Amino acid sequence: MVVVGRKELTLAERLYLPEVMRGLALTFGKFFEKPITRQYPEEPLPTDEVTRGQPRLVVKDDGNIACVSCGMCEIACPAYAITIDGGETDRAIEREPKKFEIDMLRCILCGFCEEACPKDAIFMSNELELADYTRAALVYDLEKLRRPKSALQRRIDYVYKLSARWRRAK
Amino acid sequence: MTKIQINGRELEVDPKQPLIRACHDHGVDVPMYCYHPGLQAVGSCRICQVEVAGAPGQPSRVVAACRTPVSEGMVVQTDTPKAHETRRECLEFLLKNHPLDCPICDKAGECDLQDYSYNEGQGKGRSSEPRRKLHKRKSLGDVIVLDEERCILCSRCVRFFTDVTKKAQLTVEGLGSRSVINTFMDKPLEGNYQGNLADICPVGALTSKKFRFQARVWNLSKSLSTCAECSRGCSISVESLRGKEVKRFRPRYNAAVNQWWMCDTGRHALAPVTRALAPAGAVLGGRLTGAAVRGYNGLEARATEDTLPLVADMLATHSGATLVLSPFATEEEGKAALELARALGARPQFLSPAPNGLKDDLLHTGDPCPNRRGLTELGFEPVEPAALLAQLATAPAAVLAGERVLELVGHDGLAKLPSKLRLVAFDLEAADHACLHMAISVPTHVEKAGHWTNVDGHRGVLNVAVAPPAGVRRLDQSLQTLTRLLAGVSSKA
Amino acid sequence: MDKSLLSDVPQVAIWIARVVVIFGGLVTTAALMSLAERKVSAWMQYRYGPNRVGPFGLLQPLADGLKFLFKEELIPAGANKLLFRLAPAMAAIPSMMTIAVIPIGTLVIDGDTIPLSIAPGVDLGIMYMLALGGLAVYGAILGGWASNSKYSLMGGLRASAQMISYELSLILSILVAVVLSGSLDLTKIVEAQSHGFWNVFTPFGFVAFVLFTIASFAETNRHPFDFAECEPELVGGFHTEYSAMRFALFFLGEYCAMTVMACLNVTLFLGGPSLPFLENTPWWLGIPVFLLKAAFFLFLFIWVRWTLPRFRFDQLMRLGWKVALPIALANLLVAGAWVAFTTKGG
Repeated sequence: MVVVGRKELTLAERLYLPEVMRGLALTFGKFFEKPITRQYPEEPLPTDEVTRGQPRLVVKDDGNIACVSCGMCEIACPAYAITIDGGETDRAIEREPKKFEIDMLRCILCGFCEEACPKDAIFMSNELELADYTRAALVYDLEKLRRPKSALQRRIDYVYKLSARWRRAK
Repeated sequence: MTKIQINGRELEVDPKQPLIRACHDHGVDVPMYCYHPGLQAVGSCRICQVEVAGAPGQPSRVVAACRTPVSEGMVVQTDTPKAHETRRECLEFLLKNHPLDCPICDKAGECDLQDYSYNEGQGKGRSSEPRRKLHKRKSLGDVIVLDEERCILCSRCVRFFTDVTKKAQLTVEGLGSRSVINTFMDKPLEGNYQGNLADICPVGALTSKKFRFQARVWNLSKSLSTCAECSRGCSISVESLRGKEVKRFRPRYNAAVNQWWMCDTGRHALAPVTRALAPAGAVLGGRLTGAAVRGYNGLEARATEDTLPLVADMLATHSGATLVLSPFATEEEGKAALELARALGARPQFLSPAPNGLKDDLLHTGDPCPNRRGLTELGFEPVEPAALLAQLATAPAAVLAGERVLELVGHDGLAKLPSKLRLVAFDLEAADHACLHMAISVPTHVEKAGHWTNVDGHRGVLNVAVAPPAGVRRLDQSLQTLTRLLAGVSSKA
Repeated sequence: MDKSLLSDVPQVAIWIARVVVIFGGLVTTAALMSLAERKVSAWMQYRYGPNRVGPFGLLQPLADGLKFLFKEELIPAGANKLLFRLAPAMAAIPSMMTIAVIPIGTLVIDGDTIPLSIAPGVDLGIMYMLALGGLAVYGAILGGWASNSKYSLMGGLRASAQMISYELSLILSILVAVVLSGSLDLTKIVEAQSHGFWNVFTPFGFVAFVLFTIASFAETNRHPFDFAECEPELVGGFHTEYSAMRFALFFLGEYCAMTVMACLNVTLFLGGPSLPFLENTPWWLGIPVFLLKAAFFLFLFIWVRWTLPRFRFDQLMRLGWKVALPIALANLLVAGAWVAFTTKGG
């Protein structure tokens, strides 16, 4: 059996009022301290390279999209959020996506697409905000998904670092 | 029959077939690239090597299963380390010059090389020499593109022309590491069977220009069906992207009809089944999805259920109607049409357009009616478009039923018919001819189930590969409803 | 010029002006209290508080009011519709009406003295306040009962039990001030203290002041005695089922009651608009002084709320019946005796 000993209250404590005064003094002191709240839309949370935000497509430095619409991310996606229709181009890499849609309402930001991609074409960006007025507007098409490689470089470097570690571990 | 032992199982096999067929027929997996059951075996790729026990006291041998005839008492092992090792070494050579572009390659997902590399291959090549740099997209005519880098020189395509079409068009050009597949004198390929090259190529070297980059093959849902382009009725599989849009027709092995092959006419006949729908609310300018009835402002959209009673009333008041079925009508639709013909007192006829001159020795019959034999056996009489137009010119009313029937009769001829002819069409599309009073939509042959009987009496099956657009009713059901309504109208009268 | 500036203005206009100014001030104060409550709590918790609507969030009460006006009003199935609709008004209106007898100070315009009070010099001012203050609890009780919800009913029950327990101490401590000043008229009570000697400076006055302050917390259902609402147990108590403007009326009533209690406290014990130890406080200083004193008590209401945890209900009852009531009774006796023995001809 456990007996929890209770502290015998002193008279001042039993009178409540002195303790109430002490409490009031404490809260009044906090009055003048600097708030620690983050003013969100104006001060966004700084994102790290580890941040797994929404998936975005890499646009290479030559202006072409890195995706070849191989469909690996589409198959890897556990939420069936990705739909790709391929098409032919005249470039050395003959295939490119004609339609690349990610239903952001379905996307669960798991990063499987990033792992599955054999062409370093899709990466989890640090973009986190997702709000719109219609469901249709949240099905992101190619135009909304394109990002220059430089914008995603930090994540790309991180993914390379990470996969190198996995390979070593294997 | 010859008795052999494969992987410890005593089997009786056909002595005329090579060992690889014996293995495949009994569910033993042996990889193959150059071997194709429809082509002469050459044993060039060596991937089908298996271990065969030697004579007593002799060591076992590794042989190419495609070039080894079965012999009584043969003891074959396909799964031993020795067989695997030989195949792995062989695969390494095949992969020496094969580019790693599966993400781009159209064959990915149905590629033998990809599958066996995944199962048996090693993660890394040991060669430090660069891969061959060759043409990545060399056009071989209107149908096929050749990617020379991906080619593993199995020569299936070369043998297809020599063995199947009996007219050699391709050859392996150059020697040793400089060998490539090419046509004679760089002439483009010709003939109606080029499309089969894309099917038989075990890698992504020969791909179909029409299907190139259209879809990843694992996204295609496949459905057993029958080709609609001639009375041969080749067995095909209809492959639709995510179950919606039909992307390709491919031949399906049927020993009685087409073996492994089909012609390009049938393979590329996607246009009739991928028509765009008419704009919402309209009845012209695309596929009809409900029904159309001629009113004061021309053809107006209606629901099929509301239109069939109108058709019944009209047919009851204008007796002596002509009934003509489309050549694409199935056996089931034919039976429903027979009932209707009996109710109308009409002669059952089906439209029989003239032969289209595509007849050849291999598959194509030149007759564009895939169910001619089936409909004839049901009691339908063939009628030529010209003869039909002459009939219609004097008829009080007519029912033309089945997909593409208006198109096959000829829009020019129909446009000249007088408006006093009450024409009812069950067709994919309506047309604004004065004589066309009512039109009711029907499904295409990839949207319905049924049977066609081909020229040799083989009963080909049709399955629903894609769902018909909303509002489209099955033709046999529409005709049955019409017959029932007619009986009701006449009994009231 | 014999005539003063206001001699041509009809008396009715001056009455109306007083009503508008005081009543408007009360409602505005109540609205601003809702903002102050959030702002003060935020500052005590290292936060900013509402700062999006208007400069420093000053327009937040307006935005809230608009929101309340446009929200859907729900009446639960099985509720007594008449009483359900009546209850918020019952909570808000008596609280607002009690401000009428509070003397906030005087305005002197061109020689004319205008008391800044809706009903100055009511003989039974305190009785009026207590009577109406007693009515306010009906809002909570009716709302709790009419909602047809167990939480609301419990909230209403607690409100009534608590009100009865603390009204006793409240009245007994008010009586001390009455005894000291010798009148039930609030204006007279203020006058009695206007020479710099507040009621709170006497020992029993001080005890009564402390008891009154504590009881006013209980009377207005404020922390640490807000058992009628008590979110963790009763999900909002008597107003669980209320929405939109009816819900807002309960709040308006609560804040009005707080404001009136603060004013009453100032009037009874802290000399109303007078400064301590001064023989005469100039009239122009009186009003700001009164408002400042009242503001302090309003701040105290919020300050205590965000400092102290809620009592247990049995603790509340024990404090009310076994501590506050005996002390208040004894205090009144002592004060009465002292006044009786020191006043000549009494």
